[in-house]
Amino acid sequence: MANPIITPLTQALAENRLTRDELRALMQRRNGPALWRLAVWAVIIALTGTLIWAAWNSWLIWPAMFVHGVVLVHFFSLQHECVHYTVFRTRWLNDLVGNVCGAVIILPHQFFRYEHCDHHTHTQIDGDDPEMVPMPQTWGQYALYLSAIPYWCTKITELLRHAAGRLSVAERRFTPKSAEAVVIREARWMLAGYVALFAAMAISGVWAPLWFWLIPLALGEPVMRFIRMTEHVGRPKVAQMSDNTRTSLVSFPMRFLAWNMNYHAEHHYVASVPFHALPRLHEKLRGHVHVEPGGYIGAHRDIVAQLRNAG
Amino acid sequence: MPDDGWHDLMPLADLRRGWVTRAVLGTRALAVYDTPSGLFASAALCTHGGADLCDGYFDGHLIECPLHQGAFDVRTGAAIGAPVTRALKTFPARVDGDRVQIRLT
Repeated sequence: MANPIITPLTQALAENRLTRDELRALMQRRNGPALWRLAVWAVIIALTGTLIWAAWNSWLIWPAMFVHGVVLVHFFSLQHECVHYTVFRTRWLNDLVGNVCGAVIILPHQFFRYEHCDHHTHTQIDGDDPEMVPMPQTWGQYALYLSAIPYWCTKITELLRHAAGRLSVAERRFTPKSAEAVVIREARWMLAGYVALFAAMAISGVWAPLWFWLIPLALGEPVMRFIRMTEHVGRPKVAQMSDNTRTSLVSFPMRFLAWNMNYHAEHHYVASVPFHALPRLHEKLRGHVHVEPGGYIGAHRDIVAQLRNAG
Repeated sequence: MPDDGWHDLMPLADLRRGWVTRAVLGTRALAVYDTPSGLFASAALCTHGGADLCDGYFDGHLIECPLHQGAFDVRTGAAIGAPVTRALKTFPARVDGDRVQIRLT
């Protein structure tokens, strides 16, 4: 008999951390919680966008754009949840919202899905995890990563390469042959959309998308890099999920923006559990996964301590 | 082996109602689905990464792999959600008295 691969979930069931009935209850999906959150999300975006409008013709526009940008970069959290089909019970809604999020943050959804699946297979394994953020060895590397400059260089290069019809050898490993055309087509559509946007701005002289969207996105991305580092950086490079991933306990506003993705170790344990059930899963796995009580700042204290010790 | 090709798989009482149940027949690991339109059965392992579909999310006629959330239609085994591309092997299933049975094909 062929044996299933050992997933973190298989382990959790085998170790009686979870029963199948508990798992079934945790995995139940609903459209309501996400629709409610999306409504609040829209109000928050409207409010932070209004801040930019109110600060127009003042230096305060820069902090206003930063605040708006911090909200915008959290479209990543929603897109990530859509990748796992855990935002809505209605499956196509996850695809729709995921694609919209991807368009906002310049991250083609289908490609991200394939890449992210591979990240879940090879979490924190050197050379295999396509989303691995390396532990910085110097203060310069730490600062450079947090600047988001390498992130944008990678993502824009990736987009252009896919639009040109090319996938790298590493990308071909996790992208099914039959899906390569999809990845190329979505990159072309996204690139065409952005070219059309810039052309429209240039022709009309209306540059609002730049001030209300793209500049805030660039200003906010370092915050998302700061958050993304807390998930795995500094954790052991081993397959054991209770060791290689970090959950950060953060405030309600940050949990809201992150769609509970701060419960990252729990998410890696059972990726089929929707965002609204992650706090309950956190209680079930208490003591079994690595939890950083100091939140994102505490996680960076750990990273910085390791960086100091390495030096 | 029974003449008609049907094999007892498990007591009906062990079937998880409205959900997926793991079963073993000989050397085969199987998943049995209690759907709104009756019982269906398939091989238990995902055709993409080999994870156990019995640990996955089940809704209506859709089984979703617990590892990558690829999805199959349990009625036909068709791959209906990336990253899965290959269909699942499916088997006819039925209830006979107090037993769940499948026919290996």
